[in-house]
Amino acid sequence: MIQFLIFCLYGLGWNLIGGYGGQVALGQAKNVGMSAYTVALLMVWWDVPFWVSTPLGVIVATIESFILGYFLFRLRGHYFAIATIAVSLVWQQLFINWNLIGGARGVELPLKETPNFLYMQFDSPIYYHYFAFALVLAAILYMNWFRKSKLGYQLRMISSSEDMAESLGINIHWVKVKAYCITGVFAGMGGAFYTVYYNYIDPFSVMHLELSVMIALMTMIGGAGSMWGPIIGAMILIPLDRYLGAWLGGIGIVGVDFMIYSMMVMVISAYEPKGIWGIIERYRGKR
Amino acid sequence: MALLEVIDLTKDFGGVVANDHISFEIARGEIIGMIGPNGAGKTTLFNCIVGYHKPDGGTIRFKGKDITGLKPFQTNWEGIGRTFQIMSMSGGLTALENIMIGSFCRISDPETARQEASEIVNLLELESDAEANLTELPIATQKRVGLGMALATKPELLMLDELAAGLNPREMDEMVELLRKIHKAKDLTLFLTEHAMDVVMPISQRIVVLDGGQKIAEGRPRDIADNERVIKAYLGEKYAKSRKNRGSL
Repeated sequence: MIQFLIFCLYGLGWNLIGGYGGQVALGQAKNVGMSAYTVALLMVWWDVPFWVSTPLGVIVATIESFILGYFLFRLRGHYFAIATIAVSLVWQQLFINWNLIGGARGVELPLKETPNFLYMQFDSPIYYHYFAFALVLAAILYMNWFRKSKLGYQLRMISSSEDMAESLGINIHWVKVKAYCITGVFAGMGGAFYTVYYNYIDPFSVMHLELSVMIALMTMIGGAGSMWGPIIGAMILIPLDRYLGAWLGGIGIVGVDFMIYSMMVMVISAYEPKGIWGIIERYRGKR
Repeated sequence: MALLEVIDLTKDFGGVVANDHISFEIARGEIIGMIGPNGAGKTTLFNCIVGYHKPDGGTIRFKGKDITGLKPFQTNWEGIGRTFQIMSMSGGLTALENIMIGSFCRISDPETARQEASEIVNLLELESDAEANLTELPIATQKRVGLGMALATKPELLMLDELAAGLNPREMDEMVELLRKIHKAKDLTLFLTEHAMDVVMPISQRIVVLDGGQKIAEGRPRDIADNERVIKAYLGEKYAKSRKNRGSL
């Protein structure tokens, strides 16, 4: 459940740039990881409480998005997608091999003796659920406002035609960078929460390219560019990942799960490019 | 002072000279047509003025300000709007919302943008289609929405690229009427390139003719239709004859 909520958050954020903006950015994990590592390391090194480190983590993730977006959005289309993959791989390798911040072993958060609200350490998981639910709710409300906002409309124009968007006075580079930063905020929130929930992070869980791809796949299956698409996607893929991944992993076949997800994307995009939400809308429209 | 001055504009695509030292002026409030056979350099000239191409030589001045080499969104802020031959609008949005995107050029608040967009919807007689999804609308209506989007950015100079392409004769007549109407209502300057003579001849006050990247003629529609070089390059004997037969334009 918690994983579902976290992925909703990631997906809602990615939908902004990938769905509404039509920019295939495969580097969401970088932002998640940046924030997660900031939160974890601040706590391990200086005992900084969650409520202080999270804003810092989100800021770090946003700044990272801004810098990367500023340079990478000079590229368009597939070149941009490839560049985000390349940067993701660099970060991934860096974090796996950088021993100062735990390297491949990851970072474990010290547990407090008693449940502590400041450090988001509770004795019952139900509080985490409330918190994650509140975050997702806030994200949904934000997205609902966003798609009717100036930036939302401009992004959608960019995704249908960049040339035409430019002729309408839209500074496409700047709009993309702004949207990418907002995506970074969403990922940063998710990453920070992930850290305090699991009390343990490593590059494979928060910095890995697989996570980025998973977020993108999930949104595409559910329906990129629609309000509920990422949530539907998470609803399908997270349980599937949990059981299918565990089952296949258990009998020694690794990686087949990703093949299955990719097949799903192919089938769905051949049938309805707007994903499952598109199919739902079509049936609603018929009635 | 002229609204738009194009001075010695040259654009060279690796040896193919698409625009060869072209100069002309557009005064405020004028309706100028640009004609020429395929490959004459009309679209290149458009793209150079708006900023999709960087000219290799020459100067473009708008309201006295040098705008050579500015990006399209910057020339739009200066007050140049344009439509495209092939409109690609956001399919998931309604006609009104697409026009709103244009309004957002000068306005940040969605409510004000919506209001402005509905005024343009009224002006373009799109009321019945305002809430329809764009992909469901016929091509002529889509073109009008595209016109509305450009209008919503509040241009002083509106550049129309092949607005009549793909329209039937009746729709073309409607489009001409509509252009006259917005020209008056919005106090616009229009600059249109067009293949359809039935659109460009009646509406233009002055016509610029390009051929092979060069400006070969400029003048009133009547004179252009009689110009030897123009007839040879573009119109063909047939048009000139039929014009004489009909007696008037």
